[in-house]
Amino acid sequence: MTSSTEAAGRPAPSRADLLPRADLAATLVARDQLSPDAQLLRFESEAPLRVLPGQFAMVRVGGGGLLRRPYSYCDLLDDGAFTLLVKEVGVGTRAIMSLPVGAEVSSLGPLGTTFELPPPDRTPVIVAGGVGIAPFVLFCRRLAETGRRGIVLLGGRRRPDLYLRDAFERFGMDVRVATEDGSAGHHGFVTALLDAALADAGQPALYSCGPTGMLLKVAELATAAGVPHQVSIERRMGCGMGCCLGCVVWARSPSGGPEEYLRSCTEGPVFEAETIAWDRDPHPL
Amino acid sequence: MSEPGAATVDMGVEVAGLRLPTPLIAASGTFGYGDEYREVADYDCIGAISVKGLYLEPREGCPPPRIWETPSGMLNAIGLQEVGIRRFLADKLPAVRALGKIVIANICGSSLEEYGELSRILDQAEGVSAIEVNISCPNVAEGGIEFGCDPDMAARATEVVRRGTRLPVIPKLSPSASDMAAVARRVAEAGADAVSLINTIPAMAVDVETRRPRLANVVGGLSGPAVRPIAVRMVWEVARGGRLPVIGMGGIANAGDALEFLLVGAAAVQIGTMNFVDPGVWRRTYDGLAAYCRRHEVAALRDLTGAMRPGTAG
Repeated sequence: MTSSTEAAGRPAPSRADLLPRADLAATLVARDQLSPDAQLLRFESEAPLRVLPGQFAMVRVGGGGLLRRPYSYCDLLDDGAFTLLVKEVGVGTRAIMSLPVGAEVSSLGPLGTTFELPPPDRTPVIVAGGVGIAPFVLFCRRLAETGRRGIVLLGGRRRPDLYLRDAFERFGMDVRVATEDGSAGHHGFVTALLDAALADAGQPALYSCGPTGMLLKVAELATAAGVPHQVSIERRMGCGMGCCLGCVVWARSPSGGPEEYLRSCTEGPVFEAETIAWDRDPHPL
Repeated sequence: MSEPGAATVDMGVEVAGLRLPTPLIAASGTFGYGDEYREVADYDCIGAISVKGLYLEPREGCPPPRIWETPSGMLNAIGLQEVGIRRFLADKLPAVRALGKIVIANICGSSLEEYGELSRILDQAEGVSAIEVNISCPNVAEGGIEFGCDPDMAARATEVVRRGTRLPVIPKLSPSASDMAAVARRVAEAGADAVSLINTIPAMAVDVETRRPRLANVVGGLSGPAVRPIAVRMVWEVARGGRLPVIGMGGIANAGDALEFLLVGAAAVQIGTMNFVDPGVWRRTYDGLAAYCRRHEVAALRDLTGAMRPGTAG
């Protein structure tokens, strides 16, 4: 299992390598209704942020339930503002989606591990479903800043679920889409686009985030093809700080030790896919 | 130790022979092994840290889903995933000791022998100031809550820990016991130095669309502000028995909440679930307690323990 980790050029990240965390006030400054049930929210933080692609924030919103909710940082803008991609699933997302512009939230972050850019001889192939696309905006911004391109495979149930396609095109990414109802791009699952993308990439490095079934399929293909694969796995979280142990994923330990529950907030959300014990975990969120 | 914002109020308390610089203790199971919140919580406001429950051996815990949010509370069935006492002492304790905090080890046993062995190991450990005895976890198949519901079993668990250590012994009581005051009396006779309460309340939730339980363990423990009035009543009942100092907990989110526990008889309080919600809870609660004391001309916060007045608030 070490071969593709080494190929990806890094050991599993440890918390000590990452940026200090802070609980900061953030003001909602803009809302973009992307689809009937999804929004891109732009916040300005009370202090400058340093965030790496794949990291997330635990956001506390008045009226949004007792616990904070985890959101991947979608993009980090030059002025220190950040965006979150939110799809309505329950009381927490409903609260943040109905916040008036100008309202304040508490944002605890940056939390968790990061997607690392591949070494220069590898072309990133991103596979994302629905709001799973969120962390890859910042990832592709960083990629574009170094003059590099990647392939983005974007899937959804219907055309409106293909969020932020234009952002990836602006970064110069090769965007290919699939919808389950055939209303845009390939008619079917996004994973059907994977074989061609891997062939086009030559020396690919895979990155994925989205529904568990999709992640599992990508992991199977990556393993079969011997391609390094980083995956973001999010579970229901209580704290985001590694203390409640609510968000665990069944995995092999990063040191290659015995299988155990790892925290998707702390050892994750980004894992080397080979560390996940897929036969025992996926479980429904 | 600095005492921020309280130049004129003595915020120190003494409980179970521990002299705590503040009455606020981090509750076991909500604060990891003690140093996880160092970047975002104000540790100057923390009087002691009760670490995640420890067994002799590591435990993998319950399968997920493990948590579910409820109105003003949360259910959890973690099942005491933990690293085991030896790894705690070797790998985890040094980091929390380096923060200069008083450490309370929370121990769990699946047998009386395990409680005894854990207490003997901790007695020899450097840097542990007291032992909180979990006789009330609702989420483990063996031991746990069974010890906490039966006064005889609670007393026996306390007794074996007492025999194993010179450290202060603090049984953590289960709200499932039919007579918590009776459990408190028995653990006092068995050598406890204080009691802490309440552990979570066994509870459950069901997804009506799929008709399945929300937690893989089906039943979990309810915590958070939802349980606070129940916890206040239980602390009052145990404290007025007068046998042992009481450490109160249950959904404390601010100074007003903490004061309720103190006034009904708690000598100190623990903050648990609200760590997840707001790491700023420590500073806010500490400052609020100090401000209350100044406003009410209370020179020493410990004078508020049991200071509830007769009659009603009107």
